[in-house]
Amino acid sequence: MTLLTNPPRSTLPRPTWQTVSVNVILFGLFAASLWAVADLKINVATIIDSADNAVSFVGRIFPLDFPPIGELVTMTAQTLGIVLLATVLSVILSMFVALAAAHNTTPGTALRWGARAIIVVTRTIPELVLAILFLRLFGLGAVAGILALGLHSIGMVGKLYADAIEDTDPGPRDALRAAGASWWQQIVGGVFPQAMPAFVATALHRFDINLRASVILGYVGVSGIGLELSGALRTMNYQRGMALALFVVALCIVVELISGALRKMVLGDQAPAHRTIWTRMREKVATAQNGWLDRGAAATSEARARTAAARTADGNYRVSPPWTGERIRRTIYVVLFALALVFATWGAQIDLSRMADGFGSMFNTLSLFFPPGTGGIGSELWEQLLVTVQIALAATFIGLVVAVPVGLLAARNVAPTPGIAKGFRIFIVAVRGIPDLIFAIIVIVVTGLGATAGAIALSVGAIGLLSKLIADSVEETDVRVQQAVLAGGATRMQVLIGATVRQSGPAIVAHIFYQLDSNIRAATLLGVVGAGGIGFYLMNAARVMQFDVVTMVVVMIFVVVMAVEGLAIWVRRAIS
Amino acid sequence: MTDSDHSRLGASIDKILRPTISLSGVTKQFGPDLRALDDVSLEVYPGEVVALLGLSGSGKSTLLRLLDGLHLPTSGTVQVLGQDVGTARGRELRALRRKVGFVFQQFHLVGSMTVLENVCTGALGSLRGPRFGLMSYPKSVRLAAMEQLDRVGLADRPFQRADTLSGGQQQRVAVARALIQKPRILLADEPVASLDPESSAQVMALISRIASEDSLTVVCSLHQVDLALSWGHRLVGLRGGSLVLDKPVSQIDKNETMSIYSAVEPVSVGQPV
Repeated sequence: MTLLTNPPRSTLPRPTWQTVSVNVILFGLFAASLWAVADLKINVATIIDSADNAVSFVGRIFPLDFPPIGELVTMTAQTLGIVLLATVLSVILSMFVALAAAHNTTPGTALRWGARAIIVVTRTIPELVLAILFLRLFGLGAVAGILALGLHSIGMVGKLYADAIEDTDPGPRDALRAAGASWWQQIVGGVFPQAMPAFVATALHRFDINLRASVILGYVGVSGIGLELSGALRTMNYQRGMALALFVVALCIVVELISGALRKMVLGDQAPAHRTIWTRMREKVATAQNGWLDRGAAATSEARARTAAARTADGNYRVSPPWTGERIRRTIYVVLFALALVFATWGAQIDLSRMADGFGSMFNTLSLFFPPGTGGIGSELWEQLLVTVQIALAATFIGLVVAVPVGLLAARNVAPTPGIAKGFRIFIVAVRGIPDLIFAIIVIVVTGLGATAGAIALSVGAIGLLSKLIADSVEETDVRVQQAVLAGGATRMQVLIGATVRQSGPAIVAHIFYQLDSNIRAATLLGVVGAGGIGFYLMNAARVMQFDVVTMVVVMIFVVVMAVEGLAIWVRRAIS
Repeated sequence: MTDSDHSRLGASIDKILRPTISLSGVTKQFGPDLRALDDVSLEVYPGEVVALLGLSGSGKSTLLRLLDGLHLPTSGTVQVLGQDVGTARGRELRALRRKVGFVFQQFHLVGSMTVLENVCTGALGSLRGPRFGLMSYPKSVRLAAMEQLDRVGLADRPFQRADTLSGGQQQRVAVARALIQKPRILLADEPVASLDPESSAQVMALISRIASEDSLTVVCSLHQVDLALSWGHRLVGLRGGSLVLDKPVSQIDKNETMSIYSAVEPVSVGQPV
């Protein structure tokens, strides 16, 4: 055994190249965010100014002018139909993409990389740009919206489906393979039943997202509520515009409540232990009946009774499941879904010959988009890209500043009392219920402040998501560490900083990057509705048919998003 | 003469003619470093119940999976029911697998599916196209599935979710799923290793009863020698991928059991490897 003859002077580990650069990156982002907040003039004076603006504006939106109920129903049906068909389209396509992308089902490496490329590309191209392309191909109406939302959704749905497939137990599929089942039989019989709850939950979640996005698509000509809304705002008919915006907010919240309940039901299906009051009552009745029959005899003849099969009148085995409440309910859902699908398809007025024409001219139309060009306004585009990034940075920063205390107080293991944690959880759920893009439209229109309003509107969404993620990751920390630190005589604050936040730090950093990433995409879309930044130029280029500029903008956003994602992956790897 | 007499006679004639399973010089290599099976030759005759003994990692699972074409041999030939498993592909291989039932240690049922649908999936090999949901299977298949469920003693709960059953019951469902194939061979990979002693005995009794009722050839891997001695006709031992024991149970007397342990377990010294 040897003792250290020269004890090290320093108590800190020697800084590595990695830790230094991670610190530089994080500090750089922090500084950039402060600069964005200052440059966008997000401060008390602006808010007071905009409050004045808002007050005078509010005078102009009242009385709210709702369209006649018949019109409202028609446009709602149009929007819901487009969103439903788009989601179904993305689900069908995503199944194939996910089967090719998941490592346990992919037929080959080449297909796997192809599928992953499809996931990345569809996620990166905004639905708005796809809509511009498809409107050009298939004309105004529903089809362009369905295709745009449907294809863009593959980026998320395909990814989550592939994850769900990779999470399945290989056993059942192995058993089917051993029984001589073909590849498709193995997949449908052994893999899909396991992944089904995740498949349905993802589809419902995507339905919510597509509903929100469909409103933005109205700005470029996709039919539905969004078209009426953008038309009203463009003609400065604010009484009608705000009425529609509020209606959309309500619609989004109602749809989200319904889909949330359905999702819970589907996912709850995985845990048979879950007992509702009804199953409990049925169990009680069942035991009571047993006792009433004959307790003693039931026990002795149990073995025989157990193997008695249910038989039909002709003495055959009963081979179709009984019509339990559960089966009836499920059948009703399936029938309703099928009806909605038929109705939506009929309502979308899909003109097959028009579609065939569109596909025929696909090549010509696509060639309008290439090569990417700046349309002679290259430097302006870069400036506006910077504004978009500023909006995203500022929104993330403001979101974070609010989300840290809110998230911590919502975490059960940090909040002083369980009541406080519950209260903040409810607050988070309420904030998350606000459809951010539509909320942004309202804020932008009401305050008339462009980029500043865009940043503030987006920060609301960031507050909701970041608070939730922070609360979740803090709750997942190892409590034993906190107890150990507490046992050492630390104060509550010391425990919080030294044990709790220290543990969830890497997760929180990852969430911040994720939020920044999605804010950049959202900020682009906000430009379309008037928040400034590159989205506005995207819209204009589409309107004056400078499609090469559209492509240029897409490429620029792609580069920025990829850079942020690359940075995120690198930082995550370095700090974990 | 009864049916079972017929099949017994048939079995003894077959035994003279040709084995159901025959491995000759089979080696299976996983990557450059792992040799799971090393030059194994073995013949199993119709109606035999072979207990495959060995520790985990001795190559039992690999051997069983080779017999169903779930793995391909690196060298040597594997013949099952007169067909070369190593060269069979696609439709031909699936047709062969249909005649071979497989029971796994972890049951491999889909927990969220009903018991009856799980059994029906065993019939996929003889159906065209994928199936989803119980009612997508033809009524004849569902009736056949009920018949097999009745045989394994679970006919009273066809519409229950599979994951609500106990381990022993789940394994019986898995046996029913293998039986709906109307197999001629039943392969079982540690079928009772995840079960408590009582359920283990039930499942082993079930497999042995069905083997004689349907005159199946059975290869069943086990790691408990006492179970192997009470249910097997013949013991085959593997150790480090090599065959170290092959003896009919009738020729093993009580005093020899210890030597079987030492043949399969590496603690002993001086035993052939």
